Amino acid sequence: MQRRSFIKSLIIGGLATRLSPELLAQPAHPELAVAQGETPAAITQAALKILGGMEKFIGRGDKVLIKPNIGWDRTPEMAACTNPEVVRALVEMSYQAGAKQVIVMDNTINQARRCYVRSGIQEAAREAGAKVLFTDENRLKKMSINGEWLKEWDVFQDFVEVDKLINVPIAKVHSLSRVTLSLKNWLGAVGGNRNQFHQKIDQAMVDLAAFFKPTLTVLDAYRILFRNGPQGGRVSDTKLMKTVVAGVDQVAVDAYGATFFDLKPEEIYSLQLAQSRGLGNFDLEKLRIEKRAV
Amino acid sequence: MKREQSKKYFWLQRLRILSQAGFFGLFFFLFLTTHYPGQDYLTTTVERFFHLDPLLALTTIIASRLIVAALLLSVITLVLTLLFGRFVCGWVCPLGALHQFFSFIFKKSRLLKPRRDDQMSLAPKYFVLILVLAAAIFSVNLVGYLDPLSFLYRSSAVFVSPILNLLLSQSGSLAYAVGLPGLGQTLGQTKGNLALNSIFQNALLIGILFLTAVLLNIWKERFWCRYLCPTGALLGIFSRFNLFKLRINPEKCIDCHLCSIHCQTNARPYPSDGWRSSECLYCETCAAICPTGAISFPIKFQKEKITGVDLSRRKILLTSLTGLILAPIFKITAHRQRAHPALIRPPGALPESEFLEKCVKCGECLKVCPTNALQPALSEAGPEGVWTPVLVPRIGYCEYYCSLCTQVCPTGAIRELTIEEKIEVKIGTAWIDKNRCLPYALGKSCIVCEEHCPVSPKAIKLIRVQTLTPDQKMVSNLAPFVDVESCIGCGICENKCVVLDLPAIRVSSVGEQRSPENQLILPIAEEPEQF
Repeated sequence: MQRRSFIKSLIIGGLATRLSPELLAQPAHPELAVAQGETPAAITQAALKILGGMEKFIGRGDKVLIKPNIGWDRTPEMAACTNPEVVRALVEMSYQAGAKQVIVMDNTINQARRCYVRSGIQEAAREAGAKVLFTDENRLKKMSINGEWLKEWDVFQDFVEVDKLINVPIAKVHSLSRVTLSLKNWLGAVGGNRNQFHQKIDQAMVDLAAFFKPTLTVLDAYRILFRNGPQGGRVSDTKLMKTVVAGVDQVAVDAYGATFFDLKPEEIYSLQLAQSRGLGNFDLEKLRIEKRAV
Repeated sequence: MKREQSKKYFWLQRLRILSQAGFFGLFFFLFLTTHYPGQDYLTTTVERFFHLDPLLALTTIIASRLIVAALLLSVITLVLTLLFGRFVCGWVCPLGALHQFFSFIFKKSRLLKPRRDDQMSLAPKYFVLILVLAAAIFSVNLVGYLDPLSFLYRSSAVFVSPILNLLLSQSGSLAYAVGLPGLGQTLGQTKGNLALNSIFQNALLIGILFLTAVLLNIWKERFWCRYLCPTGALLGIFSRFNLFKLRINPEKCIDCHLCSIHCQTNARPYPSDGWRSSECLYCETCAAICPTGAISFPIKFQKEKITGVDLSRRKILLTSLTGLILAPIFKITAHRQRAHPALIRPPGALPESEFLEKCVKCGECLKVCPTNALQPALSEAGPEGVWTPVLVPRIGYCEYYCSLCTQVCPTGAIRELTIEEKIEVKIGTAWIDKNRCLPYALGKSCIVCEEHCPVSPKAIKLIRVQTLTPDQKMVSNLAPFVDVESCIGCGICENKCVVLDLPAIRVSSVGEQRSPENQLILPIAEEPEQF
């Protein structure tokens, strides 16, 4: 920027704030962005645009961790793991917004390398410049979760040692929690005997979501798994919704996600728990939602 | 007289060391890279080494009465041995290289002091060979226990690999502790990429045997190769011509005995008419060490026979008889009659008796299994099945889209399968223990097994069960129910069950597709349609 034009804009800016202070106030971006379209990358970009751009969430020099669901050794057509193109788009946008480093990782259920490869996420994220890491037991540390139920648990330090955390779940059905969306995705950021969570799965999900408090949640509903969840196995278990839902409020994102499965948010116990804890708002009527088709 | 060592043989000796290091390096490199490579099918495996081993071929072919095509490659080894003697032992064999290396170390450290005139009989390995072959006639395949390649690979897979893994993990932890997170991360990721298996039942025994084999080199140089190795014995029998013949120039020889003292296998180069050609590995030590360069190996076409090895006809007969009597004892145990519930074989495993005839316990499948599920059997498969692979769901499970173990088996005991074929193979059946299962026994919610079932539609269905709790309340929960027809027995349910000590869902071998007998549901042909 030229010095002259800088001074000019400084003066104009100064005058403008003096004359109308509301100009500086945040423009009212919607709370939930819902983008629909043909390619996963385009709708991811559109959703972020609705929310005011990635720059709103990621600052220059930030260390960012993107947490997709890479739990299973399944191809993208099986809709068991997050769509790799959604992850790629988020990595690219994070770098464009000035991120210093973007890490992509998940604590998988099947052999890690297999899940990373077959899901396509490792390749997509690496091509976009992200560092794709396996979880390492040496990085586990018992941390105070301070939840209603979970008091402390082993957490992979990678997820807490970053400036910004982006949760990128995929929308799937689950026999116990009914749906697995953003709240349940946090089970992949911890170690230990995770399967014990299932004794009070909804409470565990809420406790972990409250602990991790992501900067941004992007729900991949390009292809959802509506049967045989959470890992499916046949293309016929999946349905193309070609949608991405994004927002800061993870409860709101999940509330919208529930509708893909013809469920009302209030039918999902974890959302009730989350709302009463003040974690977010599942009342879709009251939320500012902007939908866009691309 | 001019004292001068032979330059030619000095360099030949160096070349031999290089060759040994190269083959050992190749073997170990192939060992380390035998894991999920980021694609479904392996391109390089260590199998070829095994295919060149004539004893593995011979016993497997005798025991299974089948020609395994790939094993015929070992004819190359035999023909070369026929012409040139046991150079394979001296130049190629990776276990031989290891023993040679440690013998060298022990000699340098004065732990091993070779004697001038060692009288210990070199015959035991021939008796081991006879025992193995005699047992093979009874279809008992014992070769794997002492075959050098199987021994080395199994020891590396079960003993060395977990130690390497532990080292990586511990040094990673140390790196983080001393404030080197970059190094810690590198080590952690290397660990993830190498995917070394970390836990093996029986590792202690296999490890102790391996260490013993190495430490025996303190007693005698290349102890294993001299006294134990049945493959070496077979090659000894086949070394008929030894075209390069040891010759000592009597004019140069100063009768110092250095050549015989340092002969790796006590092949007694001095005096040259006592040379045991069937024991000579062509390591070139004698020719290189000779202070006057008196020893050379000129080409001469003349038949050789086994000399200087105490192999009387009576002993050979006795050993053969022992083998023939011992072999049936391996087979007259209960496991032959009724399948063992814990004997869950890898997918693609042949029916049990054929499997046992072919499996050489090399441990390739144990190494490549991505979840550490395949373990060396203890008693599950009876005495002849010790160290054959068995899937232990409490340790690991059979990864759904994986057929790696079927791709590495050198003898075809595990039939090679594509991923599409493999996911159809049933290796056992899961059973719910309602006395331990949370929804049934405690009235608590848990559907972990159902969630993990990889089959679509799931083989674990959910039903609603009511449980009466002590406060007279009826609690209702979803509970698992196994559909035995679609269950493939992969064991992920047992592996992930929250009841850790004795899981509430367990896989047993019943229903395994390979067995015509170990079946549960009688398949009744559908009624023909009525017209």
